[in-house]
Amino acid sequence: MSDFNLSLHIMKERLSAGRMLVIWPLLAMFILFSSWGLSDPKANLPGGLIIDSAYDVMYASTAFIVFSATMGAVLISFDGISRDRLSGVLEVKLSQPIKRSVYARALLIGHWLAIFIPVLILNLLSLVIIWYRMDDLPSLEELFIHTIATGLLLLWYTSIQLLASSWAKDMGSSIAVGLGVWMLFTLLWLVLTTVVAGLSGVGVENLNSSEYLQIQATMDLFSPNGVYHLLLEMPLTDVDRGISPLATSMAAILWSTLPLYLFIRRIERMHP
Amino acid sequence: METCLTLTSVSWRHKIRDFSTWKPWAKKDGPGIHSIDLKIQKGSILGLIGPNGAGKTTLMRAICGLYDCEGFDKSCASRRIGIGYMPEQIRWEGRMSVRSALQTISLMRDKDIDLDSIIQTVGLSSKSEHYLDDLSQGMRQRLSLACALVGEPRILVMDEPLNGLDPLAQRAFCNLLKDLASKGVAIVISSHQVSDLESFVDRIALLHHGQLLAEGTLPSIRQNLGLKDGDGIVEMICSVTGIDPEDVSLELSNDDLLPFKQHVGEEE
Repeated sequence: MSDFNLSLHIMKERLSAGRMLVIWPLLAMFILFSSWGLSDPKANLPGGLIIDSAYDVMYASTAFIVFSATMGAVLISFDGISRDRLSGVLEVKLSQPIKRSVYARALLIGHWLAIFIPVLILNLLSLVIIWYRMDDLPSLEELFIHTIATGLLLLWYTSIQLLASSWAKDMGSSIAVGLGVWMLFTLLWLVLTTVVAGLSGVGVENLNSSEYLQIQATMDLFSPNGVYHLLLEMPLTDVDRGISPLATSMAAILWSTLPLYLFIRRIERMHP
Repeated sequence: METCLTLTSVSWRHKIRDFSTWKPWAKKDGPGIHSIDLKIQKGSILGLIGPNGAGKTTLMRAICGLYDCEGFDKSCASRRIGIGYMPEQIRWEGRMSVRSALQTISLMRDKDIDLDSIIQTVGLSSKSEHYLDDLSQGMRQRLSLACALVGEPRILVMDEPLNGLDPLAQRAFCNLLKDLASKGVAIVISSHQVSDLESFVDRIALLHHGQLLAEGTLPSIRQNLGLKDGDGIVEMICSVTGIDPEDVSLELSNDDLLPFKQHVGEEE
């Protein structure tokens, strides 16, 4: 029980940090405004995207969650360990009789909750917006999948960022690794997918061809943002990119366990 | 006197970057502590003295279970229950209150802890709701002491605790340590000045280059080394190494002052 209390304490500490004054408005603008805009029945969306249900709005607005909430996870966690290490506080913490693995878990859960709770609150508010604009609400199953997938995405980014923070000897390196990972999966992954498609002999002139979509879906299994979208596509009957739910679930489990394992191992072997 | 903790041939080598190879991840054994035998006794104050790089901090970290050392049991978590550790010069900072910082530490110990009495003991009652950013260096030292007192430890390990304290606070600090020792708490305290510790320690352990050169009461060490009252650490080391105190300069490295075995791969 005390490790959960420790997680809650870390969460409270992070939520009261000065940087939340920047993160909250950013998240609110991205999540609430995207829900407002995408739920407009007159909206003319690029790529011929048709939105005719509440879940469609939620699915489309995840592009903005990927952009803002993952950045929030990086900004909250980049100094999760490196700051304590530089100030000497980590030495005090590591000398306490708590098991290192328990401490690592508490750190992860605390930092994850600090970004997940604001996103969850804003997602609930966006439901009100969607209901007001479209007079429609997603089903409980859709809401459950959306919440779980968003929670997992933030957990993956938080664990990767804390791992980077534990490796880094200074704050700059820590945030450089975090931003690098964020840019790779959020901005550069499309370029990487196109390169892989080109090398596989699939033409990249038409990004809507079935061969390209197949390669894109496979590549998505190796990216947290991609697995997030594959999870969100599960309830959608008109989207099938040829990846089985089992493969998506396996990828989600791997993304959840591998960084966590590496992080716990790192904390267990860490010297101040 | 009852022994709280026995160190038998405790050794630890830091891993440092190996510049003899192009691989940036290559490490080799660096400085550390070598075959330290020491007994920490209940209710006594043991002063660790030695020059910079002697291994005082490494030995303290080893006692606190921060390293898995040779010659020590591996159950660090169980050993850490009874130990309170105050590292040297922590830069407490952030928009967190003093109480909240202490609460973090108390949550890492599996027992109910009366934070108010600890805050009162270290004289931080008026600052308990202040942000860490607003604390002076002396207040930060007090907070570090408060963290070490969380959980009523049997052994207090303190690395250069008097640094950054004004003379009044130093005196109060020493009085507090004497009080804790009288209640049966074993205290290990380090300094590179004998004069800092002379007035209140029971025993002294002289460390140099990771080795324990002498251990005992201060008069007995001085007597064994043929020194007179008032002689400090420089005279003690010079006495062991045979170097004239008048010849000591920055050009003399630790190796020059080391009378004992050289460890493979060890550098300054």
